Amino acid sequence: MGATISRLGERPNLWPWLLLAPLTAYLAIFFLVPLADVAVMSFTEPRLSLANYQKIVTGTLYQRVFLNTFLTAGLVTLVCLCVGYPLAYLMNNSKPRTAMLILLLVTMSFWTSFLVRTYAWMVLLGNNGPIVALLSALGLTNPPQLLFTRFSSTLAMVHILAPYMIMNIYSVMRKIDPVLIRSAESLGARGFSLFRHVYLPLTAPGIANGCVLVFVLCLGFYVTPVLLGSPREQMIAGLIGHQIEEFLAFGMGSAMAMVLLAITLAILAVYHRRFGLDKLWG
Amino acid sequence: MRLVGIAVVIFIAAPLVIVVPMSFSDARSLQFPPPGYWLGYYQAYFTDVSWLRPTWNSIIIAAATTVLTMALVVPACFALVRHRFKGKSIADLMMLMPLAVPHIVIAVGYYSFLGDLRLVHTHLGVVLAHTCLSVPIAFLVLSANLKGFDRNLERAAQSLGASPVQTFLHVTLPILRPGLVISALFAFIQSFDETVVAIFISGRDAETLPRKMFDSIRQEADPVIAVISTLLFVAVLLAVIAPFAWRGIRSRFARTALPAPSPAGR
Repeated sequence: MGATISRLGERPNLWPWLLLAPLTAYLAIFFLVPLADVAVMSFTEPRLSLANYQKIVTGTLYQRVFLNTFLTAGLVTLVCLCVGYPLAYLMNNSKPRTAMLILLLVTMSFWTSFLVRTYAWMVLLGNNGPIVALLSALGLTNPPQLLFTRFSSTLAMVHILAPYMIMNIYSVMRKIDPVLIRSAESLGARGFSLFRHVYLPLTAPGIANGCVLVFVLCLGFYVTPVLLGSPREQMIAGLIGHQIEEFLAFGMGSAMAMVLLAITLAILAVYHRRFGLDKLWG
Repeated sequence: MRLVGIAVVIFIAAPLVIVVPMSFSDARSLQFPPPGYWLGYYQAYFTDVSWLRPTWNSIIIAAATTVLTMALVVPACFALVRHRFKGKSIADLMMLMPLAVPHIVIAVGYYSFLGDLRLVHTHLGVVLAHTCLSVPIAFLVLSANLKGFDRNLERAAQSLGASPVQTFLHVTLPILRPGLVISALFAFIQSFDETVVAIFISGRDAETLPRKMFDSIRQEADPVIAVISTLLFVAVLLAVIAPFAWRGIRSRFARTALPAPSPAGR
């Protein structure tokens, strides 16, 4: 690589390609080919036809699962925003020590395996768990079933995805010049009006980043809905896994995977044109 | 906003903390607070091959993935950060592509692709797949480091008579070392935590720890999971606190900087 530096002037065009070649070849063989496999299988399994896609469009099961996935992803994104925004605000407006501690906590949560966090929610929401105990202590004689419902999987996904939202909003908030807020105040902006007309527009890029990232990640979420959710209310990824593992229905699974991929890429492409994809992951 | 913020802190902290007392519980099933405490499930974890083997598999696979990822990413990073050429923006996008594809989609692909190569249920198969997923994360970290690199240092070394190789070994590499270490660490964690692809392709022979945990939670919720969760939690705690503590020792004026969030887990 040292040679890169000295030869830059002589042969500017060959070196980058040589350096890029191994990774490009690797991704082409071990990423693009498997992806193409999915595309091919969606049309050819069990025989060459559009039948798999037809089923997705017309079958009520598939329609319900897709609708359910979108609603869940939307709900999770909304709750993440409602949870993440105040926390980012708290971090940005407290003493450095407190801010650092919260940052530490969010980082911890982010790096803790989501299987661990999913398991923790099973303990918290289980029939012998603290929340049910609290509810019955409060006088609820017949505590509701919390685990294996839409509620439990949504809550756990919010917990798992919230750090993405928080970090995105916080990184934008941190850069806001306090002078802007003070000058708005000196011009008479107060309370909600200050928030609505000054703070919210300034943090909008962080909100957009966080929402897109959380929504897209949630669309393809497999583990948590499968472990914590209701079996009757599957999400797309869960149904894909089900088709492959239980029925060996590769064509159907692949077709659904392609639709999921197309939706994800469409959202990211819109985002890319507007903001640039490299910004999404900080 | 303040009260809501504090509530959110509790919401985020509670599930992280709860696994610790659970791991010392003597209950057979999920019960909190635990009826009694003992170390039995720690002993169970450290003596049970069906848990130790997946742990070992995960470590080997993550280590191999890290080596392969870095070998591919480091040269590519130099090319993309230091050179301008036609097709650079496409190459940039290509590096990020594995992040944009939901893991379940590519898992279906690997199931069939590695099946054709007779590599399902092998360590090699999992490593080949995990490397693709680790590339974008290692790339993002390293390229951010490389962009901040002051190339005058290299020019200075060369003007003092260092050969390109010497410059690379004695100037470029030492300065980049922290970036390289963090990027390798991210690649390792990405592979170690990766669940969805591992569920589909690792099988019994190359079973990784997340796959074993997933199966166990799905079937019986073996209390040993609380032990593993606690161990993983402590490992993360140490890894996250270490740089903070280090910075605190190095300078009293610790800045609140954080490694860029990367979607390691899904």
